[in-house]
Formats: sequence, C-alpha cells, structure tokens
Amino acid sequence: MAPIDGTFDYDLAVIGGGSGGLACAKEAVNQGARVAVLDYVTPSPQGTKWGLGGTCVNVGCIPKKLMHQAAILGESIHEAVAYGWQVPSLDQIKINWSALTESVQNHIKSVNWVTRVDLRDKKIDYINGLGEFKDPHTIIATMKNGSKKELTAKNILIAVGGRPHYPEIPGALEYCISSDDIFSLGHPPGKTLVVGAGYIGLECAGFLNSLGYPATVLIRSVPLRGFDQQMASMVTSEMEMKGVQLHHKCIPLSVEKLESGQLKAKWLNTETQEQFEDTFDTVLMATGRYALTEQLNLDAAGVKTLSSNGKIVAETEQTNVPHIYAVGDVLEGRPELTPVAIHAGRLLARRMFAGATQYMDYENVATTVFTPLEYGCVGLSEETAAQRYGSENLEVYHAYYKPTEFFIPQRNIRNCYLKAVALREAPQRILGLHFVGPVAGEVIQGFAAAIKCGITMEQLMNTVGIHPTVAEEFTRLNITKRSGKDPNPASCCS
Amino acid sequence: MCSAMCQGLKSPVRRLANLRKAKNISTSIVHNETILVKNNDEFVHKVMNNEKPVIVNFHAEWCEPCKILTPKLKELVEPLPNLDLAIVDVEENADLVHTFEVKAVPAVIAISNGLVVDKFIGLVDTDMINNLIDRMSNKKKDDS
Repeated sequence: MAPIDGTFDYDLAVIGGGSGGLACAKEAVNQGARVAVLDYVTPSPQGTKWGLGGTCVNVGCIPKKLMHQAAILGESIHEAVAYGWQVPSLDQIKINWSALTESVQNHIKSVNWVTRVDLRDKKIDYINGLGEFKDPHTIIATMKNGSKKELTAKNILIAVGGRPHYPEIPGALEYCISSDDIFSLGHPPGKTLVVGAGYIGLECAGFLNSLGYPATVLIRSVPLRGFDQQMASMVTSEMEMKGVQLHHKCIPLSVEKLESGQLKAKWLNTETQEQFEDTFDTVLMATGRYALTEQLNLDAAGVKTLSSNGKIVAETEQTNVPHIYAVGDVLEGRPELTPVAIHAGRLLARRMFAGATQYMDYENVATTVFTPLEYGCVGLSEETAAQRYGSENLEVYHAYYKPTEFFIPQRNIRNCYLKAVALREAPQRILGLHFVGPVAGEVIQGFAAAIKCGITMEQLMNTVGIHPTVAEEFTRLNITKRSGKDPNPASCCS
Repeated sequence: MCSAMCQGLKSPVRRLANLRKAKNISTSIVHNETILVKNNDEFVHKVMNNEKPVIVNFHAEWCEPCKILTPKLKELVEPLPNLDLAIVDVEENADLVHTFEVKAVPAVIAISNGLVVDKFIGLVDTDMINNLIDRMSNKKKDDS
C-alpha cells in the first residue's frame, strides 16, 4: 500500500541492474532522487550466474566483443607471416580456451566490482534480490537465501531485460547451452551446433569457428531477420568461406546425450522434409530472447500494456500506470541495444526528476553485427525503404572495395561491400548506410551522426575521404544499382 | 606535501572508527606474517592500532596486475622487522574500499600510527615500491 502520509522509501526503485536500469538510477541520483536498484540473476538451465551489470556486461556485448577480438587476433597471427613476421611453428598456434575464458571473466568481474563501488559512492541502495510487485508502489525482493525485503517507491522502473529462449524439443533444457553459458564455459566447446541465425547465433558461430571449434548453424527462415537481407547474405557468405556450415530452412528436432558424452542433434529441413543428424560436443541455442515480465507479478501493479510476446508497450517509456516506467530490452518494438537503453534511461530520469521534456529518438540507431567480417548499419534497410517510399523513389549507390591491408596476406575481398540507400529526388537524402567489412562498427559510428543531421548523397559525395581507410569508400560511392554498371573497383587511388 | 595529504586523508580514519561492528575477530598472531584482513575490526586492531607502520595492499583475484604486485610486496616486506603488510581483498571488504575511496586495484595505502601517509594506484615498478618501503620502515625511528 502506498504509505498514508505519502512518504515512500525511495523516489525511484529500479528493477534490473543492467544498462538501462543503472543509467536511469545514476542520472536520477544526479537530479537528487533517492534510488534503489534491485538486481538478481536466476541461474541458467546449465547453472550459470553472474554479477551486477546486466546482460551487456556479463553475457552480452562485452564478452562477445572480447571473444570476437580473440578470434581476429588468431587470424592476424597467420596474416602476420605474409608481412614478414617470423612466427615459429605456425601450425601449432591454437587457442587455450580456459585462458581465454579466465581473462574474459576477470575483466567482467572487474566491471561488476566497479559498478558496485559506483552505486555505493552515489548512495544508491543495491538489493541483490528478485523483484516483484505487491501493489503499484510496493516491491518485494526475494534474496538468494529466501529472505524477503519490502520497499515502497514513488516511481518504479522496469528494466529487467530478457533471457535466452529455449525451443521446446527433447534435450534442449537438459543438454544445451545458450549465450548465458558460452562465455564462461568450463571446458572447450569443441564441435558446436548453433541453433538460430540472428546476430547472437551468427556472432557465436563466427568466433567459435575462428578459434578453431568447427561450427554449424541451423537457420529456420533467413539469417539476420529484420536486417538488410543483401548484407546478411554477404555476412553468411563470408562465414561459409571461413568454414562455418550453414543449414538453411532447418529446425531442430531433438538433442540426446550419447554414452561418449557428446550430443546427437537431429533436425528437419522444412522445405525438403528431409531429416538430418550429426554429433556435436556442444549445442548452443540462440533462438531468440524473451522479456522477464512474467515473474514481476505485473497484475498486482495494474500494468496492462503487454504485447503478445510479454514485452511492455510504452511509447515514451511510461506504462498505463503513470508512475511505472520501462526501459531497455523489455520494451516492445525498440532496438534491443545497450546504448539505446542507456540513452533512454537517462532521458527518462531527467523527465522524472528535472522537469526535462526530451523524449528518446529511437530512429536511425546505428548497430553492428560482430561476425568474422563485421556488418555495420544505420537507418533503413533497402527492403524497408522500398516498402516505405517505393523503389522508384529510391536511389541505391553501391560498391565493392578492397581494403589495402587485405592484399598482402591475400585475404578474400569478395564480401567487402557497402551501399547507401537514398531518396531519388535531389539532394538525395540518405535513408540508410550499410557496410560489410573490417571494423564496421568504427566505420559506421560517425555516419550515424551524419544521418541524424539529414546527410544527403550530394554532401556525402562532396566529403573528402581519409586515405587509406575502408571508411572512405562511403565518400567514393558513385555507381547506382539502377545504372547496372559494375560496382567492382578498378584500382585504388583513382 | 605529506602533511597536506594527511590532512585530507584524516577523515577516513574517523569514518572507519564509526564502522566498528561486533564481528568475529581472527586470532592469527601478527609477527611478520602478512595480515589477511577479513573485516573492519581486524583492520582497526592490526593496522590502525599497529605500533609498526603498515603497507595496506588492496587486492582482487580477478586483477592481473594485483597478481604481480601482491607477491612482490610480500617478498619485500615480510623479512622486515619494523614494517607490516596487510592484504585487503576488495570483494570481501566493501566497507574498507568505500572508506579509503579505492576506485581501482591494485591500490597501496601506507598507514603509520593510524594515519594514511601515502597512497598509490596501479602497478608500480620495483623502485617505487622500494622507496615506499624504505620511507615506511624508517618512519618508526623518525617518530620516536
């Protein structure tokens, strides 16, 4: 019950200590609010748990990028030979999985600690308990030892994020791991089957393969659904070239454990109706994530705005209950990205406590898929742009390119490609930029700011590039898809 | 310079005194063995109230530079009769971390007669460690 005299324990209680929750909490404290943060990690089916910081820090962006980097460095050692480095016993270069996971986990623990120290310094009460609603202003936190703590808050933020979804097939929960487990796996993953070809599945298959663990991917419909499909096919093409096995239109049927300890997976090609099976050391489920709204007991709070997949519908992060908000992956229809959650969380705190009026702009958010050859993009995919404006009103500029550094080790440049999707009418405002190549994230970031300023093809083409880089290829775009001309480069510097 | 630092650093001592709670006190006897600090009381007894100056090393298991610095400190300090070494695991001593405003590890704080007299953050080279040790082990002589 809301206290009769109107005083609450806190001005803001945040359920979920991840990217969105913490950003909002810290900004709220900057604005003078009394804040509590609840964070709790229910162990994964395989028993994995982690500390404060949320998905990104513990089982998402951070460890993913570190493993992606480990994979790239492994390839660099081989490329170094072409540049003249004398590498003894090249064929004996291999990854020590436990050394890799130890370094990654040590870094994560340091971030967990700094986060806790930061909360304490900012006088934010941190409660390591699973939160649920008792009534619209009261939350019950259940600690690991079963004890409960009640707290009341004037405002409540739901920032609980999501967890990996497991398909309902025999053996999934018992024998399979997910992205929750891979980054701290206590033994080398060996030959791995990845079920799912969203960015999580492809990124994992990508770095596992590059680290020396053969990877196979089952793709139910299309890879990177929701992303520009032409770019997605370049990403998967590169992965196949590197040895990742991709099975399109396939769904998993079952996973059983053999006497040897290995796993036998069976799957079905939904087009040909053929069944397949193979033996793996590890099966990693990457079939989507679901929002952790069920355990919140939202009925007790009166929150009714839930979508069919359990996410919270809140256009301006405010639910149907005026003092209850939501931010981050738990929100329906918003990009599930850390910087989005952080930015939205901060703006929300300012609106709550500083009388600010700025709302989060969810349009034109740049992102990058960290597959072996990365894919960075900002704005609309070609398909979405065509749907929205009609392809006759679009002009798509595109080009293949050859990174200078690829020549010497003779790296394949077949999938180094970029395009700009723009309105056809002058000055040709750019609707989307897409880039497949090395360091795609670094390349696209600056252009996200340009898109925010409404950059046009005229402006882009009048921008002088930095040479030699891969990013400069955007300034060199001049061939349209419509012209039918060959988008392959003749040579550099011309 | 040192006294100005001491002025600014005196407040943690008062804060620490307020943190005393009744807890189990470890019974390890302090000769020249390294003090492994498990709680605030132990810190007050064996570090703040120590007749000898103490080098306090804030350490974390997940911190690579700590794995280099801590053994080095042990090696250099343990043989010395008039200087002690205390190791504070940051995961187990959140109060001390807060009191001494430790924001990064490894961190080394030198305490003499209950006052902080020096502090450095990060892995430093052997020369700096030796300088600190020399200054600290001479401190007792200077003060008496």
